[in-house]
Amino acid sequence: MQLFGQILVNGILLGGLYGLMGLGMGLVWGVLKIVNLAHGALIMLGGYALYYLYTKAGIDPFLGLPLAMLAMFVLGYLLQTALLNLIVRAAQLNTLLLTFGLDVVFVYLAQLLFTADFRTINPPYAGKNVSISGVVVPYAQFGAFLVALVLAGLLFLVLEKTRTGRAIRATAQNLTAARLYGVNPKRIYAITFGAGAALAGAAGGLYGIVSQITPYIGVTLTAKSFVIAILGGLDKPLGVIGGGLILGIAEAMAALYLDPTYTDIISFGLLVVVLIARPAQLLGRA
Amino acid sequence: MNRYRWLALPIAAAALAVVPWVTSDTIVQYGINALLVATLAQAWNVIGGFSGYPSFGNSVFYGLGTYGTAIAMAQFHWSFGSGLVFGAVLGVACALLFGIPILRLRGPYFAIATLGLAAVMSAITATVEIAGKNIGLILPLFRGDKLFYELSLILLVAATGTVAWIARSRFGAGLVAIREDEDAAQVMGINTTMYKVAALTVAALFSALAGGIHAYWITFIDPASAFDPSLNVRMVIMTLFGGPGTVLGPVLGAFVLSAVSEVLASQATGVASLFYGFVIVIAVLVMPKGLLDLVQGFRETGWRYFVDNLRRYRI
Amino acid sequence: MTEPLFEVRHLTKRFRGLIAVSDVTFRVAPREIVGLIGPNGAGKTTIISLISGTLVPSAGEILFEGRHIERLPAYRRARLGIGRTFQVMKPFPGLSVLENVTVGALFGTGGGERRRERAEEKAREWLEFTGLARRMDQPAEALGGPDRKRLEFAKALAMNPKLLLLDEVMAGLNSVEVDQVVELIKKVREKGVTILVIEHVMKAIRRLSDRLLVLHHGQQIAEGRTDEVLSDPRVVEAYLGKRRQ
Repeated sequence: MQLFGQILVNGILLGGLYGLMGLGMGLVWGVLKIVNLAHGALIMLGGYALYYLYTKAGIDPFLGLPLAMLAMFVLGYLLQTALLNLIVRAAQLNTLLLTFGLDVVFVYLAQLLFTADFRTINPPYAGKNVSISGVVVPYAQFGAFLVALVLAGLLFLVLEKTRTGRAIRATAQNLTAARLYGVNPKRIYAITFGAGAALAGAAGGLYGIVSQITPYIGVTLTAKSFVIAILGGLDKPLGVIGGGLILGIAEAMAALYLDPTYTDIISFGLLVVVLIARPAQLLGRA
Repeated sequence: MNRYRWLALPIAAAALAVVPWVTSDTIVQYGINALLVATLAQAWNVIGGFSGYPSFGNSVFYGLGTYGTAIAMAQFHWSFGSGLVFGAVLGVACALLFGIPILRLRGPYFAIATLGLAAVMSAITATVEIAGKNIGLILPLFRGDKLFYELSLILLVAATGTVAWIARSRFGAGLVAIREDEDAAQVMGINTTMYKVAALTVAALFSALAGGIHAYWITFIDPASAFDPSLNVRMVIMTLFGGPGTVLGPVLGAFVLSAVSEVLASQATGVASLFYGFVIVIAVLVMPKGLLDLVQGFRETGWRYFVDNLRRYRI
Repeated sequence: MTEPLFEVRHLTKRFRGLIAVSDVTFRVAPREIVGLIGPNGAGKTTIISLISGTLVPSAGEILFEGRHIERLPAYRRARLGIGRTFQVMKPFPGLSVLENVTVGALFGTGGGERRRERAEEKAREWLEFTGLARRMDQPAEALGGPDRKRLEFAKALAMNPKLLLLDEVMAGLNSVEVDQVVELIKKVREKGVTILVIEHVMKAIRRLSDRLLVLHHGQQIAEGRTDEVLSDPRVVEAYLGKRRQ
């Protein structure tokens, strides 16, 4: 029973981070109708950004996170303005391909600049943990979980309460109408993509603390982000966190009760099942 | 010009057929790979190019064909021919079984569902005893690259011929209508579900056969290589680069991109990837309809073709 | 009336709490032209979608040539002989005008033509009929408003329908163009086609319809001969302030 509790906690903590990964992808997908195949690469880049902030500039990871996020925001903003805005009105397949191309380029550049070595962000408190009635809760994972929730909450508040957030939601629902209300689509799109990149970057940084990063972690994480975003309903931040939790717990349980090699089957199987079982809801969003 | 076009194809096929006897072994091996991936691109063309359902998981059919052939030959000790058939049956069965529920999804959801399907199948294969689990299988050895080359060429010709037939048939017109506007297509009398499943099945058939040939050729298979996810993107890019929904586009795209990638791979590691990445980004921006359309468009409007494409789809 | 070509009984459609169409019942005789009118949002397009199969009814029955079709998928209904145009025109964008109409000929009533060449011939004939012949090879997207309507028309006609459902084909046309389309529709009826027309352009409705059916908030408020219906005070009231010329 204790083991179950531990696995459950592990799953929840992981799930928070997963939810954060899904947030950025869901936001961009729901608002811009762009399926960003380079999302995992952005996560990866965020991880490296935080890594170098810590190892070269000595900034504590949790403090350096906003900086890394800012850098990723700028990157995302530029990508949207220079490239993605050019094909937004084309078939969705084109955005799939463009982002795929970007993913390839990013991975290559990362390989070139950072080498393929495993990196991990190891602040002094990383190994410490607290024990609550026998269940071990590592500081780093718990911190990551909290940050994920905070960011999700912030995103939710921004979307609901701020002018920019309302503009983003308006653009998502009806571009023409939004334009009539004075929204500048190019800017809103760039801001949204930038936000998505910033969230991805945050997820990457946290991932670097609780796990290891290489240039190649992106592919699997992109795929998982799909699952999480779809489970959560794309641009509904709270739903996406929920989706992340579902996946995190499912994976943890699978690792415990079945073989660890089954985790992939679980995540993708879940994806396929959800897609097949809920087409009506999803079609409404397409 | 039109009359002679029909001569050009058999001539090209004949020229390709002669290649193994006049070049080195390395080129023959490169040729086999190029021919097989061109077949995959052509297969994708049927479901992605003509029908407008961009599958990102056709590797699942390729993998099933690979494993079907391997299991038949390594475990059941069947002949290659029977092995190929077995692999093809597996691939087609998968298309029929999963096609109906998955083809109800549109656009990116369909793409992701196929991606998920491929990943699940790959993961399942890694746990199945008869497939050799993670370790893989070893097939009986057959030395004879030339034979594999010719087989691959025949398969590509068959696939291209099928696509040529589709392009002129009532079936093809139906697929194109589905791509252009599925609701209108239904209202006009097209049984869209049946047509889509049929298209996916055709794609599955050729992809599985390609996998089977590849399996016997390289003799050793494992889940990672059989269900290689990078194949998906390559077949999609090649078809889009060459011209989706055309007869020769995928072949052209496959040959051109394979050749360039091959040349670059010998220069520096990973640079081929970088090149691919850039090509994709640039191509999507300035030639989203592929090479064939570019050739025609360039003839008509010159460099403005690129500028027009840059302008047309932006926000 | 003689054996109706098709009839609708207690047809109802609900969308998550919103009742778009409520308890509509009417019949259409062969070779009749029936007009379907009503203010915007009355449910007219919904009825067309229910008949063509794009939407599934929440309740009620639809009979075509005596057979129940309310559970049949759209493509089966098309094969039985039901053709429709869309209010928001949907040409197949990447195809030429000829190719667009050819699709109609390939898949229409009875499964359409089996051979592409034959279908193309028929398509050309329909393009002549609708006056689009000279634009045959142009991309469908390049067509302007009125021509798009003709294309929509030609596509539906190429299906050789027994029942043609027209959804606001006159919208945006000037007076001369409206007259042309009215003549076209009459010619189509002469070929033996039964037509159900949704229209706001009163002039056209008056000239075309043998009978009228009036919808308001999804309900049938009047049905009968054109002149009688148009002078019915309830119909006038429904339109007051919402009437479009």
